[in-house]
Amino acid sequence: MAAGFKTAEPLEYHRSFLKENCRPDGRELSEFRTTTLNIGSISTADGSALVKLGNTTVICGIKAELANPPVEGPGKGYIVPNVDLPPLCSSRFRPGPPGEQAQAASQFIADVIESSEVIQTEDLCIERGKLCWVLYCDLMCLDYDGNLLDACIVALLAALKNTQLPDVTISTETSAPEVNLEKRRGLHIHKHPVATSFCIFDDSVLIVDPTAEEESLATAQLAVVTDEEGRLCSLHKPGGTSLSGEKLQECISRATVRQREIQKLINKVLHSVKTDQ
Amino acid sequence: MKDTPLSNCERDFLLKAIQEKKRLDGRQTYDYRKIKITFGTDYGSCFVDLGKTRVMGQVSCELVAPKENRPNEGIMFFNIELSPMASPAFEQGRQSELSVKLNRQLERCLRNSKCIDTESLCVVSGEKVWKIRVDVHLLNHDGNLMDAASIAAISALCHFRRPDVSIQGDEVTVYSQEERDPIPLSIYHMPISVSFSFFQQGTYLLVDPCEREERVMDGLLMIAMNKHREICSIQSSGGIMLLKDQVMRCSKIASVKVSEITELIGKALENDKKARKAGGRCGFAESIPLERITALKMDETPMEMMDVTERANDIVQKAEVPPQMVQSPVVPVPGVGQVGQGLQNTWGLEEEEDEEEEDENEGSDNSAEEQEGRVSPMEEEKYEKEERDGGDVVEISDSEEEEVVILHPEKPDKAPKNTESSLHQKASNKKRQ
Amino acid sequence: MAVMEARCSSSVMLREFACEQNFLSQPDGSASFVHGDTSVYAGVYGPAEVKVSKEIYDRATLEVLIQPKVGLPGVRERSQEQCVRETCEASLLLSLHPRSSLTLILQVLHDDGSLLSCLLNAACMSLMDAGLPMSCLFCGVTCAIDADGQIITDPTAAQEKESRALMTFAIDSKKHNVLMTSTKGSFSVNELQQCIAVSQKASEKLFQFYRDSVRRRYSKTL
Repeated sequence: MAAGFKTAEPLEYHRSFLKENCRPDGRELSEFRTTTLNIGSISTADGSALVKLGNTTVICGIKAELANPPVEGPGKGYIVPNVDLPPLCSSRFRPGPPGEQAQAASQFIADVIESSEVIQTEDLCIERGKLCWVLYCDLMCLDYDGNLLDACIVALLAALKNTQLPDVTISTETSAPEVNLEKRRGLHIHKHPVATSFCIFDDSVLIVDPTAEEESLATAQLAVVTDEEGRLCSLHKPGGTSLSGEKLQECISRATVRQREIQKLINKVLHSVKTDQ
Repeated sequence: MKDTPLSNCERDFLLKAIQEKKRLDGRQTYDYRKIKITFGTDYGSCFVDLGKTRVMGQVSCELVAPKENRPNEGIMFFNIELSPMASPAFEQGRQSELSVKLNRQLERCLRNSKCIDTESLCVVSGEKVWKIRVDVHLLNHDGNLMDAASIAAISALCHFRRPDVSIQGDEVTVYSQEERDPIPLSIYHMPISVSFSFFQQGTYLLVDPCEREERVMDGLLMIAMNKHREICSIQSSGGIMLLKDQVMRCSKIASVKVSEITELIGKALENDKKARKAGGRCGFAESIPLERITALKMDETPMEMMDVTERANDIVQKAEVPPQMVQSPVVPVPGVGQVGQGLQNTWGLEEEEDEEEEDENEGSDNSAEEQEGRVSPMEEEKYEKEERDGGDVVEISDSEEEEVVILHPEKPDKAPKNTESSLHQKASNKKRQ
Repeated sequence: MAVMEARCSSSVMLREFACEQNFLSQPDGSASFVHGDTSVYAGVYGPAEVKVSKEIYDRATLEVLIQPKVGLPGVRERSQEQCVRETCEASLLLSLHPRSSLTLILQVLHDDGSLLSCLLNAACMSLMDAGLPMSCLFCGVTCAIDADGQIITDPTAAQEKESRALMTFAIDSKKHNVLMTSTKGSFSVNELQQCIAVSQKASEKLFQFYRDSVRRRYSKTL
């Protein structure tokens, strides 16, 4: 019966739950799904992490390559994030070039990296005007069940914290770079941005961490990115139902709690790996 | 979106009018519509109105490596963008026949006529040259796109200034507009395209066809010419046969039109230069016709910001203060952590445990020595087998390996191929022996 | 890091802005919008026939295309398209035209800062010109916080470059609530709330401008 109701009237089905201040999967309105984090999942990458947010699974691999610094910033390196939504993760995505959602997500991640200054691109420079690191951050969604952005940011942050770059020296004779793979050092992570996504139902009810179904039925979505100092790195609301300043403030409060939770999680997991070795 | 087709009676009406030497907008056969050329705030940005047809030309440049066969020539790139804004029939991102035709004609008109000195665009021979990119955006389609595009492209090229560069050893320095005055391109002559449309197998001829006329025409002749009456390109399409003196007559008309248009472009450039020198405001914002009823302008407006700070503080203070304490994450095995209120995902418990075991291995992968210790079930089986074999006959274990790899089984009837499952099978075979 | 908390100076200015409607013959609705030197053209087609693959059974399909000044649209344009489209979807009454298509094309003519807000304003004016049913109007306002912590509205490209945070809001005309936000740089909660309040103030000016231009358009005298 319930299954039929859910298929025939998905919106009514959700409304009947939201009326009682809970959601079809048993969560409260401001409750996240279980977040599972695994660090160092890909042994061939320079840094990697796998994040599960309920069923949504995102894996992030970071590959560092040597390159020439950009002309406009000779003392800088590059960070190139890319979000991939393959047909594997959901039937809604088609094979071929990245769709609008994947492109918008890549742009969002790039904006967050730039705005939050999670890594200063100056740190990636090896020799001014000659050599720098390029960090290719590939985020691949393995299972799509809503709230892609939150999972991506956690995966990216954890993978960056896990990244170990080899030592590079430029030999004085040949002026060719020499890579010492034995000697590796971690990246300096300046900030810990964490995203919290919200959906608005029926122009009024605010829910956190939406599933794919909730996303498709919602009238608006927004993502708040905060760092450990409580500063906002991004407030991304592409459109949809309008919100008052007060409502936005509620979202920000929830996001700061989430930020602490995730930062603690990442640090603890990283710590467990370190003590293990 | 699909285009609206032209109705039969409209078509008949148009053709009949053309027969009577009358045009829809009251022009004479050889008349051009009103041409208006305005320049944007940037150098190299130009708008051309030809009646209701409106196009924008935009020139930009960048330093690139030259083509291998022309190491000391700059690169010219032309692109006419058929934006769906101009007509519902144009589709985004698809190369239509029309766009190929227009692009080809513009290239022939401006690149192949060698009107721009590409050698002056060379910075370091074989290494760095300027690539000049001309984008023509069609904004409104009311016929004769080619003429409008060619006027826009050449005016924009004339208006364009590239940044100055200096070379010291290997270093190439590009100066910004504030540091050094930018440099105009050297342009030898200005080819301009003039279009003629033919009706009723070439019996009737019209200059500068509008969109309606283009729809009923039989053929089109485009002549690109400069003011020295040199023909740079000539193209006839639509499959009509033209007599020699028809082409001659068209080229004569074209020469008159081209000298008129060249003069107009010259005047427009002169005006823009004066305006810039006088320091007055120039650019697109000034070209909005404010006398029209559909246009409105508002001057710079200050705003009252009295209570903004109070309002913001109010909202921030009224908001609930988030709890300082957060729950602690669970770390079941090194490298894995969980946070959340005991809600399991539907991946199932058993699988979860398996995964975590694997994760445990992966988590410690960073140390190279431990890599060795990591075995998959398949490999385990193999080791087991080798151990067993080694226990019985030591020498054979090596040849066993070989047997698997090079596909020369001792007993071809029994030994299967070297697929992964074959190891299992072989192991059981051995047991039987 | 000692960051000075943003405050609002008494003289917050909007650059001069101008708009022309219905100036293109082909589209069903068109508008050009100018903020200082930043200028944008917008054209709307529809409601018209929709491709079967894009058909939505209970409402119209809205497509937004942004054409940059140089080159082809890239990832940045995609994300701007998403912002404009979802803002328009929220204010248009799309369910009145089921199984049909609306196409909004925005052409950037010159970018001198506050581009996204200019795109939004041009979009709203062109939708109005096309006579499409809307539940409310919207306008875009960009705020920048400069290195001294001053809030600047409607910044130029040079001011944008100097600023440490940049925020663009779309404000609706009914309750002056926030329809869309897009931000760059990091900022505190208080700064955000101040910028929202500033934008809400600025939106009143813009809505007044909308009203004046429509009044002028349908008046008998100039």
